[in-house]
Amino acid sequence: MADVDGNGHSGSPSMLLDGYDASRVYDEVFDANGAVRGAYSRIVERFSELDAAELQRLGELVAGEFRRQGITFTVYSEDEGTERIWPMDLFPRLIAATEWEELARGLSQRVAALNCFLSDLYSGEAAVLADGVVPRWLVVSSRGFERNAMGITVPHGAHCNIAGIDVVRGADGRYQVLEDNLRNPSGISYVIENRAAMAKVCSWLFDDHTVQPTEQYGRMLRSTLESMAPGGSDHARIVVLTPGIFNSAYFEHAFLARSMGVELVEGRDLVVEDHTVYSRTIEGLVKVDVVYRRIDDDFLDPVAFRPDSSLGVPGLLGALRAGTVAVCNALGNGVADDKAVYPYVPDLIRYYLGAEPIIDNVATYTMWDADQRDEALGRLHELVAKPVGESGGYGVLIGPHASEQELQAAREAITAEPREWIVQELVQLSTLPALAEDRLEPRHLDLRPFVLTAERTEVFPGGLTRVAMRRGSLIVNSSQGGGSKDTWVLAPEPP
Amino acid sequence: MILARHAEALFWAGRYLERAENTSRCLNYAANSITHLRDEEARVEGGLLVKTLGLEEELRAAGPLESRPQLIAFLLSDSDNPGSVVSSVSAVRENLRSVRDRIPIELWEEANGLYLRFPFLGHANDAPKELHEVLLMVRRACLAVSGVLNEGMRRDEGHALMVVGRMLERSIFTVNLLEASCSDPRGALDASRMLRLTSSTQAYHRQHGNAPDFEGVVRYLLHAADLPRSVRSCLSCAEESLNSLASGASALDRPRQRAALVRSRLEFGDVSDGLASAPLQTLSELALELAALAADVQAGIVPPLALAEIHSQYLRPGPADGAAS
Repeated sequence: MADVDGNGHSGSPSMLLDGYDASRVYDEVFDANGAVRGAYSRIVERFSELDAAELQRLGELVAGEFRRQGITFTVYSEDEGTERIWPMDLFPRLIAATEWEELARGLSQRVAALNCFLSDLYSGEAAVLADGVVPRWLVVSSRGFERNAMGITVPHGAHCNIAGIDVVRGADGRYQVLEDNLRNPSGISYVIENRAAMAKVCSWLFDDHTVQPTEQYGRMLRSTLESMAPGGSDHARIVVLTPGIFNSAYFEHAFLARSMGVELVEGRDLVVEDHTVYSRTIEGLVKVDVVYRRIDDDFLDPVAFRPDSSLGVPGLLGALRAGTVAVCNALGNGVADDKAVYPYVPDLIRYYLGAEPIIDNVATYTMWDADQRDEALGRLHELVAKPVGESGGYGVLIGPHASEQELQAAREAITAEPREWIVQELVQLSTLPALAEDRLEPRHLDLRPFVLTAERTEVFPGGLTRVAMRRGSLIVNSSQGGGSKDTWVLAPEPP
Repeated sequence: MILARHAEALFWAGRYLERAENTSRCLNYAANSITHLRDEEARVEGGLLVKTLGLEEELRAAGPLESRPQLIAFLLSDSDNPGSVVSSVSAVRENLRSVRDRIPIELWEEANGLYLRFPFLGHANDAPKELHEVLLMVRRACLAVSGVLNEGMRRDEGHALMVVGRMLERSIFTVNLLEASCSDPRGALDASRMLRLTSSTQAYHRQHGNAPDFEGVVRYLLHAADLPRSVRSCLSCAEESLNSLASGASALDRPRQRAALVRSRLEFGDVSDGLASAPLQTLSELALELAALAADVQAGIVPPLALAEIHSQYLRPGPADGAAS
């Protein structure tokens, strides 16, 4: 076999993409006629130089690298051990510069509107409710609506400092927002580790492209958090608050603390005295200015919330009210990423920003509206039903994949508690090649970009591409067998 | 300034790292030497090793060890025995995992890599050749972790506390070994064996010749200033590390003073005299002082009542919630 590029890659024709069927949905790489889309031409050529055994070997190298480094996530329901090696498929996702620019504008717009909404609810006059843009009952009945957050001043008026917005591409290739994550969006560490692994194992893939880097996230995040410090950003003491080593995202918490060069603390490491937060060091108490918490609202302060939990910091809410500490993300953001509020986000953009949404929602039926409910229940076998209180893909019913018994159970559950469900049109998520045994097959995927907001808003280039590793599956969550891909935002073409 | 919890984790990571290496060395000795002994002799020598490793209580809980394979399993892979190699390496990994944001990536990776090799250990008990290789792997991995600790870690409080943990664990092991040897009237752990169990044979031979006498070896392992495993060297190193911690850590004044006192007794004082007149009593007292020093360090890092005080300010009594959010 010829060595075509001097890197040991065989030049013999590859069978990897034989039989690849891109005709069913929007494929990121091939158009409906099977022609390669422009950005992917060199990637397809490079992969054509590999055979399945070589690709599997490279995949094993990545898995070995992740295993050695302990890049893991935790699945609570698993019997055998709790840590799993982070799964990554080697075929990267590419986003052209112009496409990314438009997407980033849309994400900034959406987060800006959501921050306006949160400010209006918690620090303003709730005009959005008075004006009937969002029903008052819907907001006050949201589990994420936190009365304890009323009147707390947040730095720069930004309640959501770190957002992860899940976007998908439907059959027409347009991006749509599937879900907002405004409390503790996770996944950024895997974005950066995916890139590091790709650069180690497949460095030759980068030869033909100028890809925007990812290693700057620690600096971006630290700068965002420093700007939130009550006493100014100079010498601000920042901590990352984790529930501990058994949390599913512990790897990410440690990663973020290390990449920012700040302490990773647990609730027991912090103490509040005179409405001021301190960390317990071997030299005594040291004041803390900013807490990047990766603990849900309910566990944040046992005095105000769950008294039976020791994960949080007793008295933290008092310190927050006194303005001696900033907490990222702010308390009560759950109301804005409540799936029941999601259908109103386009209206929020129009209401607060006076603009049309740059990125649309997926068409959604509100189950508390009798007409919409009747229509949706009649077509449930074609639609997707989501419980508003779940995450991670749990409880989602995909109509075309459900049995009649499951559909009937969902209809009954929705009718009994319409506030607890939304129903959406089924989006046939776009596909990208992924290794399935000995060939590349189309697999559905989504994208979670991250938006940072404090003094200004920045969209981190790329995001976490999650991919369903089972044929035909639309569930991309890693806890349910999904994988991930390195996401390349290409640099703008020189003029 | 290091968090108290991080300080505690690093102190114990250091102790368990040393413990893993000590137990591996003892196991290696057991696998090679005890093979040639009769059953009764093997039982006696095994008991002395267990005593040296400070695992008598754990052994009582595990029940009597009737055979050499049982002894090996107890020391190698018994997860109920906190001093077994498996337990020690797991503890190193868990402690370092809880501070992985502040230690060098390479340090975490070495510790994690060592832990990940454990699936192979389960098959090692009945295969002496494989056991030897496994123990060699463990000891080399421990040395690699030590190497990263020495070469790759910033000389901050975390480094100092990890060193203190290692040095205290090492000195406790050495004193336990000497005490076990002196307490055995049959002299099962003779001078040569003491040197082997502390990896000090070559160093001793070069300095004192190759016919070691029992008393000379005891003094050597206690006093030698240039032997990294001597109690004096360990205490000097621990004292230096404790002194390098910021002066603001006043809770560590007590262990600093105690470390200086014990080291002075070894260097200038009455330990030498005591060895001549009442060696067993002198070594027992030294073991107690080292245990007290370790307890002082622990208390200096995390005052025992601190957490209870903090939480009692705010919380009514109730079960702690271990669930993650």
